[in-house]
Amino acid sequence: MVHALDEIRRTLKPNGMLLDLRPVESNWSVEVSSSTGYQAAGRLTDLPVAVADDEAAFHAMREVESRKWYIKKEEEEFAFFYYWDTPSEMKEFMEEEWDDFEKLEEDVFQKTKSLWAIANADARVRVRVKMLMTRWQKI
Amino acid sequence: MQKDPEGFEKKILHKFANLSNQRILEIGCGEGRLTWKYANASSVTIGFDSDRDAVRIARAESPPAAQGHVHFAQASASHIPFSTETFDIAILAWSL
Repeated sequence: MVHALDEIRRTLKPNGMLLDLRPVESNWSVEVSSSTGYQAAGRLTDLPVAVADDEAAFHAMREVESRKWYIKKEEEEFAFFYYWDTPSEMKEFMEEEWDDFEKLEEDVFQKTKSLWAIANADARVRVRVKMLMTRWQKI
Repeated sequence: MQKDPEGFEKKILHKFANLSNQRILEIGCGEGRLTWKYANASSVTIGFDSDRDAVRIARAESPPAAQGHVHFAQASASHIPFSTETFDIAILAWSL
C-alpha cells in the first residue's frame, strides 16, 4: 500500500490532491426503509479479514503522513446505502459478495424479515455502510 | 440491488474537491461506477484497475459524450503507467 501511495504521489502535480474514499468496518446497520421512515433490525458482524484490511489501510496512511508525502486537509464520515427489495435478496447478495468480510447473523436476518413483513408496501431493506472521505495534499 | 440512490457519495466527492477542468486519475475504478459521477466535468479522467474484465465493462459503457476525455486502462497501483506530475487529483476509489 505504501509503495502504491508513493506511485500516486509521483503522478500528482505539486500540491496535487489525493481523495481517499472507502468503507470502514463498524458492524454496519441493517434497516427496513419505507416512505414513512426506517427501523433498525440489527447489525452485521465484521469478519477478521475486513478488520485487518481496515487496519492496514489506516496504517499505510499514517506511514505516508509520517514520511511527509501527504498532509491531511479534511476528513468526513458519511453513509452509503445498499438497498434490496426483499430480505432474501439481501441475504443472497451477502453470501455471494460479502462472505469474506461481513456476516449476517440469523437473528438479524429473522428480525429483518419480521420488520419487512409488517412494513409499508414500499418497504425495502438496506445496509448502512460507514464511509470515510479524506482529502490529502501532496507535499 | 441498488447502491447509494440518495447520491451521498457524489455529493461528498464534489464537496471535497472542485473536479471541473482537472486532470484526474482514479485508482481502482472497477466498472466505472464512481467515474461517471464526476468525469464529464473534468478535462481528462483516466481510471485504471487491475481487473481486466471490469475495465472492459467500463470501456463498453462509456457514453459517447465521454469519449476523448475519459479513458480506462488495466494497470496495477504498484506501477502506475503515467508520467511524473501528470494529474491534479487522484481518487482512491474504495481501493486502499
